[in-house]
Amino acid sequence: MSLLDGWWDDFFFGLLTVLQVFCIALVIAVVCGLLGASAKLSNSRLLRGIAQAYTIVFRGAPELLVLLLFYFGMAITLTWFVQVFDPSVKFIDLPPFWAGSIAIGLIVGAYMTETFRGAFLGVDRGQVEAARALSLKRHQIFRYVRFPQMWRLALPNFGNHMLSIMKDTALVSIIGLEEILFVAKMANSIIHRPFLLYMTVALIYLAVTTVITSVVAWLELRANRHLRGAR
Amino acid sequence: MNFDVSLIATSLPKILHGLGLTLNLLVVSTLIGLVLAVGILLMRLSKRAWLVWPAKAYIYFFRGTPLLVQLFVIYHGLPQFGFIRHSILWPILREPYWCSVIALSLNTAAYVSEILRGGVLGVDKGFVEAGKALGLSKFQRASRITAPLAVRLALPAYGNEIVSMLKSTALASTVTLMEMTGVARTIVADTFAPYEIFIAATIIYLVLVWIIQTGFSMIETYANRHARRT
Repeated sequence: MSLLDGWWDDFFFGLLTVLQVFCIALVIAVVCGLLGASAKLSNSRLLRGIAQAYTIVFRGAPELLVLLLFYFGMAITLTWFVQVFDPSVKFIDLPPFWAGSIAIGLIVGAYMTETFRGAFLGVDRGQVEAARALSLKRHQIFRYVRFPQMWRLALPNFGNHMLSIMKDTALVSIIGLEEILFVAKMANSIIHRPFLLYMTVALIYLAVTTVITSVVAWLELRANRHLRGAR
Repeated sequence: MNFDVSLIATSLPKILHGLGLTLNLLVVSTLIGLVLAVGILLMRLSKRAWLVWPAKAYIYFFRGTPLLVQLFVIYHGLPQFGFIRHSILWPILREPYWCSVIALSLNTAAYVSEILRGGVLGVDKGFVEAGKALGLSKFQRASRITAPLAVRLALPAYGNEIVSMLKSTALASTVTLMEMTGVARTIVADTFAPYEIFIAATIIYLVLVWIIQTGFSMIETYANRHARRT
């Protein structure tokens, strides 16, 4: 391990970057998932159509392709947009950090849409009707009745989607973000120990995914605590 | 910004040059992965701890790390060792194609063995007990009762896994392979028209996903034909 001396701080900062991408992508994915699920369950044909197209495209296209499309495409769009106001600007690009976080968030958001949709459908209709009979407002029904019950049903899949986000963060090194895989590439060009370095990256990812899995298992226990007495 | 729709049309045939390699990677690694998965499944379901634990560790490692990192460990990492560079396997391990196939197969094997295990655990115990009562041997019970029922239960998840394998083949472009994403990246480097080219590639992938999903829903309908008559 002494071969890696001097690289640990780089790996540490790489890991911080990975965790930042993870958090931002997770927020985007949850927001997209909730919006997508609401759109799919809405009465508007237009909204349903948009949500349907969203899930088909983002679940069908390879993650790498979406990421490249965002990174290179956004550069063109941003440049064009800024040139409208200031023609002297030659080129602007979206930082890989944001291109990566947004792309991963949108991809996993498409999966979350399906998960949340199924979970909302799994909440007993009687619950919502009872809440209405108690004259709760729409947002109160969502906040106190539909969301907590949906959450419990969505959790197992939600955990898998969190793992997907975490593993997808490795792709962002391809567009040049300095996360752990990128650090390994850089270190390799100097110390020439590719197996050691990439294996270190793998083990760091393994540690993080293990933490996520444990947290989700704990959340599931918590969400189902009302059922424990009955069994 | 000018969006050139005709560029999508003209780049489609170019990207389709990579279709053969994409499908090749998909089919070869899916088949190798399936064989491995059955082996790991049998180890995982065994009652001997020395068979169960390696299988668990394998699944844990390959499901807990990104495929891209696994690919880099195999393609860039293994040549670090002299004994690999001097072994008879070197002609295989230095080829990006075989490294991609190995990474994809090892990765999918972990997922598929868990999918199949879900199927096996879902088979009603009563059927197996009925087979026992009829005097079927252990092998007959596994091959005539458990396996067909488990496969039927596992089919939907297996279809999703094939779709995700198709998407994973795009990672082969990071080790210089010219499959569809690799070709698209080259064209973008030449033309710098990322929207048109990558959208064209996306269209082809979506058609492939549609074909896989339709195929699997037909197989599922066939596998569940007994349920329709009721």
